[in-house]
Parts: sequence; C-alpha cells; structure tokens
Amino acid sequence: MRPSEPRNASRRNVLKGAGIAAAGVSLLPAGMALAQGTAPAAAPKGPKLLEMEGKAKLAVLGDKPLVAETPAEMMDDAVTPTDKLFVRNNGQVPDITGDPKAWKIKIDGEVNTPLELSVGELMSRFPNVTYQLMLECGGNGRSFFTPEARGNQWTNGGAGCPQWTGIRLADVLKAAGLKSSAIYTGHYGSDPTLAGETNKPTISRGMPIAKAMDEHTLIAFKLNGKDLPLIHGAPVRLLVPGWAGSLSTKWLNRIWIRDKEHDGPGMGGFSYRTPKTPIVPGSKGNDKDMAILESMPVRSVITFPADGTKLASRKIDLRGHAWAGDYDIKKVDISTDYGVTWKPAKVDAPPNRFAWQRFTASIDLPTAGYYEVWAKATDSKGVTQPFAAGNWNPQGYGGNPLNRIRVLVES
Amino acid sequence: MKQLTIAHVVVITLTAVFLLVALDMAGGLRTDRHLWVPVPAAATAPPAQAAPPADTEKGKPPPHNDKVEDLPEGKGREITFYTCTACHGVALIKAQGLTRDLWDSTFDLMLEKHRMPPVKPAERAEILDYLSEQFPPRRRPRGGDNPFLK
Repeated sequence: MRPSEPRNASRRNVLKGAGIAAAGVSLLPAGMALAQGTAPAAAPKGPKLLEMEGKAKLAVLGDKPLVAETPAEMMDDAVTPTDKLFVRNNGQVPDITGDPKAWKIKIDGEVNTPLELSVGELMSRFPNVTYQLMLECGGNGRSFFTPEARGNQWTNGGAGCPQWTGIRLADVLKAAGLKSSAIYTGHYGSDPTLAGETNKPTISRGMPIAKAMDEHTLIAFKLNGKDLPLIHGAPVRLLVPGWAGSLSTKWLNRIWIRDKEHDGPGMGGFSYRTPKTPIVPGSKGNDKDMAILESMPVRSVITFPADGTKLASRKIDLRGHAWAGDYDIKKVDISTDYGVTWKPAKVDAPPNRFAWQRFTASIDLPTAGYYEVWAKATDSKGVTQPFAAGNWNPQGYGGNPLNRIRVLVES
Repeated sequence: MKQLTIAHVVVITLTAVFLLVALDMAGGLRTDRHLWVPVPAAATAPPAQAAPPADTEKGKPPPHNDKVEDLPEGKGREITFYTCTACHGVALIKAQGLTRDLWDSTFDLMLEKHRMPPVKPAERAEILDYLSEQFPPRRRPRGGDNPFLK
C-alpha cells in the first residue's frame, strides 16, 4: 500500500459528493494553461485539442462519444496526473446525482450470497488499497496498422498510469462466495447508449475469474487521491490493470458472475479479439477464428524529447515509459540509426506490479542534422516490440511497433 | 459631557459589535454558511453572470453537434450523415480508411452490436458507395496493395 491523502480528509470529500469533486478539479486550469504555455509550439496542422474543465488539452479522436488520447510528451510524469489521463467513452456520460456513498453495486450470478452493497459499505467493509496501475485502451496503437483497421485511430496515447485507490474485487467476490461453476465475470456500468437508452448496456465485457481475483484488480473510488471525476467513472469503476481498458467499467453498477464466457456487447465477433490464424491485412477475416485479447502487449513511449523537436545540442537526455500488460519490462533498447545498432536504456523497477517503468538514456548524436530515435522494449517473457504492427485484424488490436521520434539537431 | 460622550461611543461600539457577531452567527450576514472556511468578499460576491449549468451536466464533456457539411460533398452524403450521426460523431467516420468490403462489415457491426435501426437495402448501398468512395484505405503498404487482397 502506498501513501495517499489522510483517510478522513478523503472520506469527507466523498460525503460532499460528486459536485464538490468537480469543483475540486476546476482549480486545475490555471496550472494547465501554464504547462501548455511552456510546451513546444504545436505543429500548424495537428489534432483537435480537448477543451474540457479538469482535463488537459488532449488530442481528440472523437467527440461523440468523447475519445481523447494523451500526446507522448504529456506522458512524461512518473504518475499520470488526472487531467492528462486519456478518455475513452463508449456511450454517453450518465447523470450521477445524490450521495455517491449511497450508489449501489450488485454482485450476482454464480455466487452463494448475492450482494447489493453501497459504495459506503464497500469502503468501510473491505481493506482500502492504493496502487499505481496502468489503464490502457484495448485499441491503443491501432493507427500503426496498414491498411487502416476500424475504430479510433490511437497512436500510443490511450494509456496512463495514475494512482488508484479502491478495494480489491477479490475481497468482494470472497464475501459473496464463488460457486464452483463460477468461471467468468460480466461488468455493467450506467452509461446510456449513444442513442440515449438507459435500459440496455452500452458495453459489457468480462474476464476469467483468475484475473478478477488478482490482488491488483480493484473497484476504485479514487484517482490520484481524490474522488473519481465523473468523466473517469464516478462514483466507482473497475480497474483491471494490464488488460483492455474496456474491462475497467466506469460508473460500475453490477458484476454478474457467469458459468461461461461472458457474452455482453463487446464480447465475441471482432471486438477485443485477434486472429488465431493470421489474415491478409485489409480483409474481412473470420469471426469464428478469433481469440480474446487478454494481456496488453509490450510497448514503449519516448516522452522526452517530443517528436519534432529542434535541438541545439547533439546530447539528449532521453526519457520514456514502457509497460507490458501482465508482465514487467526486462529491457529497453535505443537506436539512432534506424535499428542498425542498439544501446540499452536504464530501466527503473516499477513501484508495484502493473505500473509502467521509466527508462532513460543519454544519447550523443554523431553530427548535426536529422535523426530518428527509436525505442524498443522487451518484456519479462523475452517478447519484444515488432518493427511494424503485425497480426492485422479488422478492429486493430495489438498494434505495438517500436516507438519512433524525429529530431533535428541544428548546427 | 465629554466623558459621557466617550462612554456612549464605547457602549454603542460594543453593542454594534455584539449585534454584528450575533447576526453573523445566526447566518444573517453570510450567504455561504455551508462553507466552513471563510471566503474572501470578492469570491462571495461574483458579478451577475449566466446561470450555472444544471447539476447533472457538471463534469460532462461539452455538447457536440455535427453538421452535414462536416462530411465531404458527394452522392449519398445526406443519408450517410443522418444514418450514422444518429448515434456517433462525424470524426469517427472521417478517421476510417476502409475498403468497401470492410465498410460493409462495419455496417453489420453497427446493426448487430450497436443496435442500429434496420436500413433499406437501397439506402445501405448508397451509404456504402459514399463511404467507400470518400474514405478508402489511405495507408498503403510498401510495394502497393497486398497481392492477396482481392
């Protein structure tokens, strides 16, 4: 357990409700504006930038539903600040009114004792834990596929590693008592569909019981020590680190324990699944020959310098983050000559499992001029990043080619 | 006379202070009694401004509305716009680069997984023509299109 705000102070915030949480984040814009002011000048033709209270100027991939990614240079903080965390909605943002502690979640299905617990009961009945955990969109890296795969065209910015506080899902499932028939979960949130329906799930994915019982799988109610903002799932959400973010259901209201693989919207077909037999890029594929994307793949992102930086010096103190779903990062290699030669970066240990890892490297470019700097991470299984996104699939999961930035050293 | 005046001033001042404190404690002087921390006067008396948005809108993304003109001109633009943006934004359409085959399966995805209302075959064909003409694959593999892709 890592330190967070004093328990009492944060509890009081919860009592004040979601409205106060929103007021809390409204204090951010001044600082944000400052941070933006010191950022390198934006390219003349760039993505649309998010304009939303409490959020930094993320790159908007879609307005309806809101989908916004974090530019690589904004992924530089060791712990992702709340305003810089990416946003991926599938439906509309629900109206959350009343006392957040009175919000209820239901645990039913293959359990001995179905439970209906308020957030207040969850917080007081089970140990509260805090970890720094990766949250990553299942489609992160989709834009690296050729030809285009269907969906939001994420670069690497559908990922962040903030600090989450919550209770372990395992503790709640133990309290409910899993039957021997329990093999899978099914998650439900309160977000209305894009068409505005509130009686049908917008998305409902699930995971094998083993992942649900992992000590890092949380029902989270705090983000970076403060009440969850509405846009990130207030009052409670799931946090299933290392796996597709769609499992980390926002506005959580129910976990259905299943005796078979869950079949809600977002399961089956080409959703969150990759081909068992490789298919021709750009083809329709066969939805009967797909396997569920579970652990996210190994990935590295250079967070300093920013892509497109003009440098006055040939020396670069490069920084970045690397992560690999269920696994740790074993090494990160850096090349400044298109992969002809590689040098290892220094890789820090993660603060806990499922947190990204900082890598740093001191680079001395041989001359002035144009360079690409490449980063390639390798995970604890020895699996590394490919040179190009492989195993093409219609909805573009698993695109994790090595990371490249472009710099110009002025003589 | 003079001393009496000073005594009067003291009494009046004390009375005034007591009255003010009493009024304050009773909540008569502050409109922000629910706050524990005293707030500077400037912050408690904001200039008249537009009514704050409804509570349920707090923390939500700004509302977003697209126009037909946000899609490139072409035959089938209107029907495509009204069919697709009933649910999602134009930006999602414009970000895609798909063959007609994949646009066709995208249509199935919307019908089967996202509860899109049924569309007449002729309309479906018109929308598919528009989408595959306006938003074909833009990222081409090295060496041209894949030799195995019909």
